Amino acid sequence: MADVHALRVVDGFRLEKGYRDALLPGGALRDERGGTRQLPRYFFEVPSWDAARDVELAPHFQLWEFMHTDVREAPPLRVFPRYVPCAVTLTAMVLEHFREAVGAPIRIAANGGYRSPGHELTRHASAHCWGTAVNIYRVGDTNLDSRETIERFAGVARQELPGVWTRPFGSARGFADDHLHLDLGYVVAVPHDAPADPFNPKLDGDPL
Amino acid sequence: MDTLRTRVDEIRASFDATAIGVAVYDTETRGELHYGADRWFHAASTIKVAILLGVFDAIHRGVLVPQSRLHVRNRFVSAYDGSPFRVLADRDANSEVHEAIGKTMRISELALHMIATSSNLATNLLLDLVGLANVQRTVAHFGIEGVDVRRGVEDELAFEHGIVNRVTANGLVALLRIIAEERAFTHELSRGMLEILHQQEFRNGIPARLPRAVRVAHKTGDISTVAHDAGIVYPPERRPYVVAILTEWNATTTGGGARSSTIASISHAVYECLAGDRLRTAGGAGG
Repeated sequence: MADVHALRVVDGFRLEKGYRDALLPGGALRDERGGTRQLPRYFFEVPSWDAARDVELAPHFQLWEFMHTDVREAPPLRVFPRYVPCAVTLTAMVLEHFREAVGAPIRIAANGGYRSPGHELTRHASAHCWGTAVNIYRVGDTNLDSRETIERFAGVARQELPGVWTRPFGSARGFADDHLHLDLGYVVAVPHDAPADPFNPKLDGDPL
Repeated sequence: MDTLRTRVDEIRASFDATAIGVAVYDTETRGELHYGADRWFHAASTIKVAILLGVFDAIHRGVLVPQSRLHVRNRFVSAYDGSPFRVLADRDANSEVHEAIGKTMRISELALHMIATSSNLATNLLLDLVGLANVQRTVAHFGIEGVDVRRGVEDELAFEHGIVNRVTANGLVALLRIIAEERAFTHELSRGMLEILHQQEFRNGIPARLPRAVRVAHKTGDISTVAHDAGIVYPPERRPYVVAILTEWNATTTGGGARSSTIASISHAVYECLAGDRLRTAGGAGG
């Protein structure tokens, strides 16, 4: 097993156009209420599926679990190298804590970890595009496909994971009825070794 | 073919099907039989052949590759009002796809399950992916009349409101002829569909009373009121023929044995008519 430091951190602004169009690094997405949310700019570069399986983000979570998408992902992101927002490390830590709380393995659904703004299922600023939301379809031997199971584990999540949001049970848009959606919000992580822009005090809006 | 028509009449008289539709096209002689062949029937699972055509159209257009992976999720929306529904595992012939819920499967695997084991979950996943409109457009593109794709399977609400997939025997033969004659997109893609149809696991219809040497690429369909089988029959040393046998039954009075026997008997009669000499020299009937 390798840790996440085995992966190169890249500035999305410096990726080739095909990747930039799919990842929209630092770009904006509209949330469900019409507000603007700024997307992550820094990503881990994952060179291969083997690497994704080899990198351990937390004792019981490997990187591949957060980047298992299907044919609806944007074409450039269906092949390696692939890119995952750096905040995925925080999501893994939160899930590890959740796993301890429920005392059973947690299964993240395909398309239920990071998915890009170019993914066909992305309609608005979902935290999935930040790598800070997961769709859990099974806890231990329990399938989360009923009100009872989803609300039971959502209650555990809200109690044990301060600040985490869970999507309410239901079939309408904005609800979930066949998985538990856990969401840290629009968190952006910038690792210390992330490449940065040269300091320029004349930049508009520069907080320095 | 007149002899065959008489034989179908006799078989019909010996069972209590409420309706029978049969269409045959012989690629060797170009002979045809149409027996109630334009009557519409509930399609049951025979509609999956049209969905297979739609999937291969997406492959042909480069939207998909057979190795593409798809999230297996058991959640669909009704064609009636968009309300969600699920495919119940105990009403589905295939458990392998249900066991993959939450994970991904390849398009090629799902297509095989849709046809060979008639997986309803695989069917709805593929239809969701390629889109109903695209399947309808593909069927129309080939000029196929008599195949009316209106929704996925197990959509009970749509069924209650009269939104059903329908086929005629002529429609299914037209659809299968496109595949048999390798006119579906490319020779390679046509053969890909044929290979899937050849792996059909339900063999108590068309193949049941044919000699073992005869290969059949086919798709069955069976619900409470209908039992169908449609396929391409490859007798030894002869060009294939395409046959669709559609039957309708009173749901409360007839067991499954009569349904499959009716289809097998008609299939046997078609074979005798078109390839009877081979039937007598190929080692007798199987099954």
